[in-house]
Amino acid sequence: MVWVIHVLNGVAIGMLLFLLAAGLSLIYGLMKILNLTHGSFYLVGGYIGLTVMQRTGSFVLALIVAAAAVALIGTVIERYFLRRFHLDELPQTLVTFGFLFIFADLSLWIWGGDPVMLRQPRIFAGSLSMGDYNYPFYRLFLIAVGLVIAGGLWWFQEHTRLGTMLRAGVDDAEIARALGINVSLLFTLVFAAGAALAALGGVLAAPVLSLYPGADFDALILAFVVVIVGGLGSLKGALVGALLVGLLDDFGKAFFPQFALFTVFVPMAFILVVRPTGLFGRR
Amino acid sequence: MAIKRTAPLGLVTAGVVALTLGAASLPVRADDTIKVGVLVPLSGNFAPNGQQTLTGIKMYFDEIGNAVAGHKIELIVEDTQGKPDVGVTKARKLVERDGAQVLTGIVSSGVALAVNDYSRENKVPLVLSGDAGADELTMPGPLVNPYLVRTSQNGRSVSAPAADWAYKQGWRKVTVIGSDYAGGVDTIHAFAQSFCQLGGQVIQEQWPPIGTSDFGPYLTNLDRKADGLVTFNPGADGLRLGQQFSEFGLKGKLTVLDIYGTIVYEPNLPQLGDATLGMYSSLFYSPMIKTPENERFVAEFRKRSDGQLPANEGPNGYVGAHAIADAVKAVNGDLKDTMKFIAALKAIKFPSPKGDISLDKYGQVIQSMYIREVEKVDGQLGNVPIATYANVDQFWPFTDTEFAAYKYTYKELKGSLTDCGKLLAKK
Amino acid sequence: MTGRVGSFVACVLVLALLLVLPQTMRPYYVGLVTKMLIFALFAMSLDLLLGYAGLASLGHAAFFGVAAYTIALLLLRAGIGGWIALPAALAASTVTGALIAALALRARGSYFLMITFALAQVVWSVAFGWRSFTGGDDGLPGIARPNFGWSLDSTVSFYYFVLAVVGLATLLLAAIVKSPFGRALRGIRESESRMQALGYDVWRYQFVAFVLAAAFAGLAGALYAYFNRFVGTEYLHVIQSAEALIMVILGGAGTLIGPAIGAALIVFLEDYISSLTQHWLLVLGIIYVLVTVLAPRGLVGLVVDYRQRRFEP
Repeated sequence: MVWVIHVLNGVAIGMLLFLLAAGLSLIYGLMKILNLTHGSFYLVGGYIGLTVMQRTGSFVLALIVAAAAVALIGTVIERYFLRRFHLDELPQTLVTFGFLFIFADLSLWIWGGDPVMLRQPRIFAGSLSMGDYNYPFYRLFLIAVGLVIAGGLWWFQEHTRLGTMLRAGVDDAEIARALGINVSLLFTLVFAAGAALAALGGVLAAPVLSLYPGADFDALILAFVVVIVGGLGSLKGALVGALLVGLLDDFGKAFFPQFALFTVFVPMAFILVVRPTGLFGRR
Repeated sequence: MAIKRTAPLGLVTAGVVALTLGAASLPVRADDTIKVGVLVPLSGNFAPNGQQTLTGIKMYFDEIGNAVAGHKIELIVEDTQGKPDVGVTKARKLVERDGAQVLTGIVSSGVALAVNDYSRENKVPLVLSGDAGADELTMPGPLVNPYLVRTSQNGRSVSAPAADWAYKQGWRKVTVIGSDYAGGVDTIHAFAQSFCQLGGQVIQEQWPPIGTSDFGPYLTNLDRKADGLVTFNPGADGLRLGQQFSEFGLKGKLTVLDIYGTIVYEPNLPQLGDATLGMYSSLFYSPMIKTPENERFVAEFRKRSDGQLPANEGPNGYVGAHAIADAVKAVNGDLKDTMKFIAALKAIKFPSPKGDISLDKYGQVIQSMYIREVEKVDGQLGNVPIATYANVDQFWPFTDTEFAAYKYTYKELKGSLTDCGKLLAKK
Repeated sequence: MTGRVGSFVACVLVLALLLVLPQTMRPYYVGLVTKMLIFALFAMSLDLLLGYAGLASLGHAAFFGVAAYTIALLLLRAGIGGWIALPAALAASTVTGALIAALALRARGSYFLMITFALAQVVWSVAFGWRSFTGGDDGLPGIARPNFGWSLDSTVSFYYFVLAVVGLATLLLAAIVKSPFGRALRGIRESESRMQALGYDVWRYQFVAFVLAAAFAGLAGALYAYFNRFVGTEYLHVIQSAEALIMVILGGAGTLIGPAIGAALIVFLEDYISSLTQHWLLVLGIIYVLVTVLAPRGLVGLVVDYRQRRFEP
């Protein structure tokens, strides 16, 4: 029975990691931008969600407002700061890094340094009884949400025009443009969507992991580990990578407590040696 | 090629730098203001702790009109960012550039260790009034520094009385979850050792690393045969552990004894809500202590911090400032004889919001420890003191010689806390 | 300023200034200039990688920190100091560089950046997690400065020591970038495929550049350990890598002297601004964005552009 709990835990955390990594991976896959501000999108999204929750008590509203606000911030960054460096990777990375610092300081300024926890929506309060053990409903909800979003993204990528354009954009931006696809609009949409996913991750994670100064860096590093393992630019990679990292992290902590910190980095190092582009990455 | 074009630039830069630094080499004007250098983290992970400590320090000096024995007191505050190298740099700046005659504050143990070295080498009085509780700073050993006194606490003194209280409640077996770092091991070790001495035993120990976000695996692993769960998880970890403890349905199944109040830390209580009711904790303070001294302190503190209740940092900063002021008065504002000033610091003795304060011969504080329980008072959750241990010094319940007689220090015993034989082995 | 004479005079003047400074300044400021010199070396080492080899690394602090920790651990855990510790520290950072290069150079561009970041974080997490050995986030205090015949304990004597070491290292770096090896690197930075077609073993050149950069970064790290008399996990953190990166970009990548100036400026700004406000991180972020948008070739680039516009209409 304990095993079931550990597996559920690994999957739940994996789903949170997926939300983080999916955005990062999509943005890279299409635009070849390594978006270091991604950690800030997570944290600021979470904090905005917290504020909305405190004012209105509605978790759903918190999710919507956080995603929308961060998508807006992402759009501004992409349009006015990233676009001018099209295809020039280093400046793009530097700018996103600069914003990471800026947001880190601003969020400390606005929301203070005490760690905060979002109140869980009441419907999910309590836990599922499994014999001697209990498992929180909220984490089961996280697993469900992760699966739904993953499914939605996959469907979108495979079965819609926009999704096809995305894949075309990934493979060759010039040809895509020649075919009349509005590549710059697509870029902005994808960047905003990636940012929104990170923000959703922040709000959904807050009741479990809490928000605190430094959570942006922690989230960014974990997202990196996942995309290194799963491969940049691949949705499937983000999901598999996230689940793998989540499960390894949980089992690692439970059975090899003295190596608790390293269980997250071991799969990453392994993949780097064996298959540097990740499990499902291209190029 | 590049050097050619940058010659003028290099010259200009060098010129500007030289001018600025030259201006900086002008001598400081001497006057008889007493300059107190405050080192606290105002950014980074410890920012809220630093802010609270600073509020406490400022509060005391404001109360005495920022003057002692006819001398003005000037506070110069620097942000250590919680980083030891920045801490030492700022300490140097305070002493060498700004003329500070005494340093105080310090929240992070890492910063404390680094600044302690600086204080010893440069003979600068250091009044540790922040959270930094590393035991070795004030115990006989290689870190000993005649210029250091500490008015805040040390790791083991907050923990050992909790063991005594737990035993008196009838607990004989406990399981522990402690943050995996020096302070965590030290604190839990002190509990385990005292508990063993009384006849109890730790039956399981788990050490999540600092920054653990998911306590699921640890909570699932808990040995249910224990009479209670003893915890020590500072920072965001305490908040998450508290939340996940009830999430995993353990409230009511296991009683929590939270050393230092890391879960039931005042800013956490409103967020965790009723899940914390009935949790016990041990600390040298509670905002609910009912003395006129404390009630006045709490009221004024809340005014200065947007209604927040003081936890441990505020009173610590306050008491440290009080110690400095009393010592300054004792030497009549003349800090030039450093050893005389240190002696005056070591001789302080006064009542405070924490209770009665004095220092032992090593310069470490002797104060009261409170066992508290989370109860609802006037509709708000609070840590209400239910038991008090008076005159707890850094070696409690041992004397300094008794403590030194133990064979193993906490550093060697992580992983062996379930072994009472080892914990109590004498040299 | 006319060509070579002008630049020679400028160099002599700067050197003279640096030699004379400690006699007039308060010890705190001598310490600050010492720190500037150490970080100038750190930044220049990264410039070798970024400005000359064209490899953007987000994990340069790993070599800086490994050398520093080697010094600390040898001294505190094994009582070994002075003559042995310094070379050992350099060796450690060089080996770390080789290992990371072997893994990271299998990728390019953003992957390379990400992998250097992640691997540096692995090193950081070892330092952070292996508490019993490395002191965890408390770090390792109590490092004594080496005694190579005369004591380096005073701020001024240590300053001259650092000046000498950094000066020599700079000459060495300048020699490297002017050599055929350096020119080949620049060719690789312009176009890897072209150089490959010309018969250069691109991977080998990049590998050597990486390892050299790691060695020089390690030297800076060792000096910093002695400067602070303390080593902590911040030496290995990504923020340290990020600061090195902005020093290089601010000054101007690919010029060596640019990053040195960038380093001095950032060290100065951080010291000055962090005393005024706790929002240094915000200022640093803004500098990042402004420099990247307004002056992507750094201060040196600005000066070069200005002179070009003035003299070549």
